[in-house]
Amino acid sequence: MLAVDVKNIKKTFVSKQDYVEAVKDVSFQVKQGEIFGLLGPNGAGKSTTILMLTTLLSITEGSASILGLDVSSKDKEVREKIGVALQDTGIDNLLTGRELFFTTCRLWGYSNKDSEKRTTELLELVGLMEAADRRVKTYSGGMKRRLDLGLSLVHSPEILFLDEPTTGLDPGSRRVLWDEIKRLRDNGVTIILTTQYLEEADELADRIAIIDEGLVVAEGTSDELKAGIGGDVITFAFENNNDLENAKNILKNTVQEKNELRITVEDGASKIPGYLKDLGSNGVEVSSVSANKPTLDDVFLEVTGYRLEGSEDITNEEEKRKR
Amino acid sequence: MKSNRSFLVQLQILTKRMVLRVVRRPLAELPNLIISAFFLFVYDGALGGVFGGTASGTPFDFAKGNFINFILPVSIVSASLSGAASGIYLVEDIESGVFKRYQSMPISRWAIILAPMNVGALRVLLQSGLILFIGIIIGADPAVGNIGFLIVLSIAFIWGMGFAGYSVAAGVKSGSSQGAQAATFLFFPAIFLAPTFVPREALKGWLETAAAYNPTTYVIEAMRAVMVDGWELDILFRGYLSAGLFAALTLTLAVLSARKATEKA
Repeated sequence: MLAVDVKNIKKTFVSKQDYVEAVKDVSFQVKQGEIFGLLGPNGAGKSTTILMLTTLLSITEGSASILGLDVSSKDKEVREKIGVALQDTGIDNLLTGRELFFTTCRLWGYSNKDSEKRTTELLELVGLMEAADRRVKTYSGGMKRRLDLGLSLVHSPEILFLDEPTTGLDPGSRRVLWDEIKRLRDNGVTIILTTQYLEEADELADRIAIIDEGLVVAEGTSDELKAGIGGDVITFAFENNNDLENAKNILKNTVQEKNELRITVEDGASKIPGYLKDLGSNGVEVSSVSANKPTLDDVFLEVTGYRLEGSEDITNEEEKRKR
Repeated sequence: MKSNRSFLVQLQILTKRMVLRVVRRPLAELPNLIISAFFLFVYDGALGGVFGGTASGTPFDFAKGNFINFILPVSIVSASLSGAASGIYLVEDIESGVFKRYQSMPISRWAIILAPMNVGALRVLLQSGLILFIGIIIGADPAVGNIGFLIVLSIAFIWGMGFAGYSVAAGVKSGSSQGAQAATFLFFPAIFLAPTFVPREALKGWLETAAAYNPTTYVIEAMRAVMVDGWELDILFRGYLSAGLFAALTLTLAVLSARKATEKA
């Protein structure tokens, strides 16, 4: 049985002033035990999709099921099966971590004794035992995210929805959360996460759907998506704007980004001398050239026509961390 | 492992959680309590000398010798407005996303809505009880005996729940805690367009008309009846009826607005 089966769902918000198609047509399937990443920029429709799948928003058109249960007609049953940590779901800052876990356990139907036991298990699981009796308002951003994740695990859900779980976290906290998410997957939990970080999708997701303007524009494993571009990405850099403009006329099917031109071809390394010869014979000076296998960044650029903002920031943060 | 998940258990857990929130912010409880106590002391200090024992035998002897008995209902009504915090508690949960977290769980929507109202009710009883206690210390002595205190407290409770319902409806409608807070401005017309300082017969012109349409008038008059005059059953009935109708109206509005808030968009 599929963990999640989404068929052509659509969400429109209608008010007196506005008619907004937040999700135009989204379909995907998630197998049990995999991490599925919904990648896209802010406003792409990722969170709206998750809100529909977690029963918090109605579906305007189309259908979706969780473990065979229809999200619209079996919403109560669906909520029993899923854990939810959304950008919109808040944490009570005036309570301690222990009190929050205990309260949530009780609400899920655990007895007082079992709630105490489960609270201790979860505090240990998310590494918050030492801070358990501090009020949540004293927690760091990373601690709050771990707490949020822990709260979504109280009832041992089969499917976990995480909406941008690491947005705003420092690289260290992000890495801790990534490890925890992978560990959950290894224990059989199906995870659907949204992210606007390419590296996060690449690192965590077994399969990825790229969402742009309410539509799924590409779907597959990271390797499949990269292979889908075909060949290698050759990047030409220019110091002089005239050279850049002339090169655009000489090289076909290029994508410009700042002072660079990119071209995707089969067997890129062997084709570089020929390109350089053409450019040189036309008086175009190239400051540097390289051929690389496509990255998810290149895939995103290819399928959407623009680069995902913020992905550069996370890369820089990761590099700083490695140094 | 999982045991009882009944509505009442959920309501009890959510109410306990909200009580913890209130206990962790004790200063938030003070303003309304201080204002209510302030009314009691200042009005007694300013007007007690005129309308208290010295007014005996004059047309101004409406307090029948004990001005505390006469002014205490005003402070009690003021304290009962602390029920309006219910709306603020609920909207804080909506704003912080805690409301949405609970919505994503298989728990009763009504337990989520009723928990802050439960806490509002506790707040009304606690604040009204404290003001009543202060009143007793400084000389309140109901004409109907000590049962008068219970009657006053019960009317205050119903009246306070009316304000709780009003604040929940206003808070959910405005969608912000500032909106819920701003809605409590109703406090001023409720208190001051009423026979607050003198009996209704002493009011004149537009204020007399406004007071006649203000349900607070009948609530204060009912409380005063048991404190000052004795068993005036018709006045007592009007007081309970006004408080009850107000509470029924606002709680209905609260339920309707909360139902809308919990519906899926």
